[in-house]
Amino acid sequence: MTKLVQLLFEGVSVGCLYALVALGFVAIYRASRVINFAQGSLLLLGAYLISYMVIDKSVPWFLAAAIGVAAMVMVGVLFQVFVLRRVTGQPVFTVVMITIGLNIAITALVPAIFGVNQRPDGTGDPIGTGELTVGGVVFTWVNIWSIIVTAIVLAGFFCFDRFSRYGLATRATSVDEEAALAVGIPVRRVNALSWGLAAGIATIAGIFLTAFPRGLDPTTGDIALAAFPAIIIGGLESPLGAVIGGLTIGIVELLTQGYESNIPALGHNFYTIAPYVVMIAVLLIRPYGLFGQRPVERI
Amino acid sequence: MATPSVAAEPVRSGVRGRVRAIRLGTWLTLPVLAVGLVLPFFLDDFWISTLVFVLIGAIGGLGLNVLTGYTGQVSLGQAFFLGVGAYTAAVLGQDHGVNALLWIPAAGLVAALLGGLIGPTALRLRGLYLAIVTIGLVFIGQHIFVNLESVSGGSQGRAIPQPAFLGLDFSSDQNSILGIGFNRDGLYYYLSLFILALAMIFVRNLTRTRTGRALQAVRDREVAAALMGVDLARAKVGAFVISSFLAGVAGALYGAFLTHVDPLQFNLLLSIQYVAIIIVGGVGTVWGALLGAIFIEGLQPVLERYSDSIPLLQHSAGEGGIAVGDATDIIFGVLIVLFLVVEPRGLIGIGARARALAIRTRVARSRQAASGLEEKA
Amino acid sequence: MSITAKPGTPLLEVRGLELRFGALTAFTDVGFHVDEGELFAVIGPNGAGKTSLFNVLSRIYRPTRGTVHYRGVDMATMKVAGLAEAGIARTLQNLGLFANLTVLDNVLIGRHHLLRSGPLRGGIWVGPARAEERPARAAAMEALKFAGIADRAGEWVATLPYGVRKRVELARALAMEPSLLLLDEPVAGMSAAERKEVTTLVERIHRERGLGIVLVEHDMGMVMQVAQRILVLDFGRAIALGTPEAIQRDDGVIRAYLGEPLGLEAAG
Repeated sequence: MTKLVQLLFEGVSVGCLYALVALGFVAIYRASRVINFAQGSLLLLGAYLISYMVIDKSVPWFLAAAIGVAAMVMVGVLFQVFVLRRVTGQPVFTVVMITIGLNIAITALVPAIFGVNQRPDGTGDPIGTGELTVGGVVFTWVNIWSIIVTAIVLAGFFCFDRFSRYGLATRATSVDEEAALAVGIPVRRVNALSWGLAAGIATIAGIFLTAFPRGLDPTTGDIALAAFPAIIIGGLESPLGAVIGGLTIGIVELLTQGYESNIPALGHNFYTIAPYVVMIAVLLIRPYGLFGQRPVERI
Repeated sequence: MATPSVAAEPVRSGVRGRVRAIRLGTWLTLPVLAVGLVLPFFLDDFWISTLVFVLIGAIGGLGLNVLTGYTGQVSLGQAFFLGVGAYTAAVLGQDHGVNALLWIPAAGLVAALLGGLIGPTALRLRGLYLAIVTIGLVFIGQHIFVNLESVSGGSQGRAIPQPAFLGLDFSSDQNSILGIGFNRDGLYYYLSLFILALAMIFVRNLTRTRTGRALQAVRDREVAAALMGVDLARAKVGAFVISSFLAGVAGALYGAFLTHVDPLQFNLLLSIQYVAIIIVGGVGTVWGALLGAIFIEGLQPVLERYSDSIPLLQHSAGEGGIAVGDATDIIFGVLIVLFLVVEPRGLIGIGARARALAIRTRVARSRQAASGLEEKA
Repeated sequence: MSITAKPGTPLLEVRGLELRFGALTAFTDVGFHVDEGELFAVIGPNGAGKTSLFNVLSRIYRPTRGTVHYRGVDMATMKVAGLAEAGIARTLQNLGLFANLTVLDNVLIGRHHLLRSGPLRGGIWVGPARAEERPARAAAMEALKFAGIADRAGEWVATLPYGVRKRVELARALAMEPSLLLLDEPVAGMSAAERKEVTTLVERIHRERGLGIVLVEHDMGMVMQVAQRILVLDFGRAIALGTPEAIQRDDGVIRAYLGEPLGLEAAG
């Protein structure tokens, strides 16, 4: 029983981080109708920036984190301004491939700049290795803070989305870009903002993903691939779906990891593909995810 | 008043130039084939073996072009079918002693069969949802490969048999045909060239006939295609079958040339490489796969070969510069972005633009000449 | 499998047809018939349900009630992909052309249901595929000639002006060798000159090919000129059915298009 609770807690914790990454995807999808395959590399770059500042340059952690997140927001905005604006009107596949190209380039650039060595302290070990034990279940502070910070970011995002002018503008743009343009919404600024936001959220997720015991190395960006099932399950344009999808994936992953030895037929490390299997199962029933919407085509 | 003796050609739009450029492909075929046939005699082994990877990449890329370029089904799953091809070759060729003349097409057929089973997912899923499911296919495929140790050798990998037929032994460097000596690289080169040529002819023919048009109709406007009587299910599944067949054959050749494969090689990056090949070369064209493969497959070998003369480039990480592997990836990524932003139609599109420009220049000059003549009249 | 009917059976027979989307009714209780070789028009103000009706006739939507019979055969079992072979061709309001193909290839796709080669024969080319391509191309060029755009056969559709694209669509429909042609707003968005040209073309198609045509249109001039009988829809209901002369005099039609007379006028 304690094992189950333990797995559930860890699943929720990592699920929260998946939810953050997924939220970044959704923010961009709503703005540009594109899945940003570079999300993982943005996460990676952000984490390395902070790590470099803290470990190599002895910058105080909070300052480094603030600078890192702000810098990555700028990177997101710059990418939208200098690359994506040139390809408006191109088919979705084209833009997706551009983000894939960006992902490959940035992911290779990071070790080129910062070296290939593992950084076991992640972004500077901000939380430490402490933990609480309650009733046989271990709650690491890293996991606890992951959940708390995710909740804060999510709350912030939802407030922004529902109650702010730019949030409304973003929603309007995602429904009908031409109409938004027609009523004077600064669509380009809205899009740039969404990209900046996504990059910033990814960096925050990166901070917790590289904390003890996972560490930071050039493959950390691969986590984004694990977040794909989250956005697909939740539906590409639904922030709520992203959260539910992320949590689902996290829990599925941890539960399968914990119990897969009971079913040897699934193979070693089945938990790495369990999210994808769940995703395919969901899509068979609902081809646009749980909360996604069928695009409307005028005949 | 004399009439101008220079007949002015009607000005063709850049797009018409594009149509011409693609038909130009048929005129280029013979010279290119001739060059391809004699090239190995002028190159050293390093380049020949690079070209083998190029040709194999072109075969797989051609298949992907049928699925994504002509039929519009975005797929990042090519790596899975390559793996299926390689392992089919291994099981039939090594475990069961089947001849390569059988296991090469068999690799294609087994992959095609799986493609036919997976194809129906494209009926329910569109665009990005389909793309991500194909990514899932690669991961699930890797998982299955790793766990099927009897087939794949687990994470250690396994050897792939070397073809042997018609008196030729692909494991040896001492073959001769008509008195000319061929080493291993040379044999693989001609085998791949032959298969690629057949594949390109097949796909080219498809585009001039009912099936090719139907596939492109599905890509451009599904509803209208259905109104014309196109069976959408058959078209999409058919595209998957053709595409997977070529991927399977490419996978078998790839594995055989490498002599050893492990499941980690059939990963997402491999799929992305194939997508990059068709993007850089030209999506939805016959020659695009070969052109793109030259760029993409040639990139890393070239960088490795000349890493000493390129500043900042080192053979491996930690020597103060950028590792060749990382540099390849960076350039690779930048190339993709650049091509898509500047010329989404790839090298073929650039070729068409160049040709249209040449026509416009020619027409402008002839018009100048004509008006010059008129003045003198 | 093309469908031939006993003599006397109407080409198209619609009875009690209704289409609902949840609480929204696109149209209800629509009934009419079209004889072989007749040119029949469906008109009505915007939102009257005309394109929805077409979408039901071309099996893109399933009706919630009612039947459609084509040459006596109930269309309920037909799928969209089966229409071409049955002999029904439909043009789309937003132009269903294939943007990345040439004009000729677009029209050739119209021959799809009349050709037989699949991927294998097509890929091999020599043999049955090549043999059927030649007459197919000839037929496609013929259709283009009929539409007056044979000189544009090699051009890319994406670069063509709107008027030319409409003609390509018509040529493509002709190449399908249909017995029933469903034209969805053939002169929408055209200049006066273009409208005249396309109207003439539609008349020629009707006269020289003897097809049954059902036409959805806004342009009264065109409709009154070419149609033999007209159905008028308003807010999803049929309010009049008859010859152009009868329709022009019908009170209900006048009310639908021009509105109720003002109280002042009625009193005066």
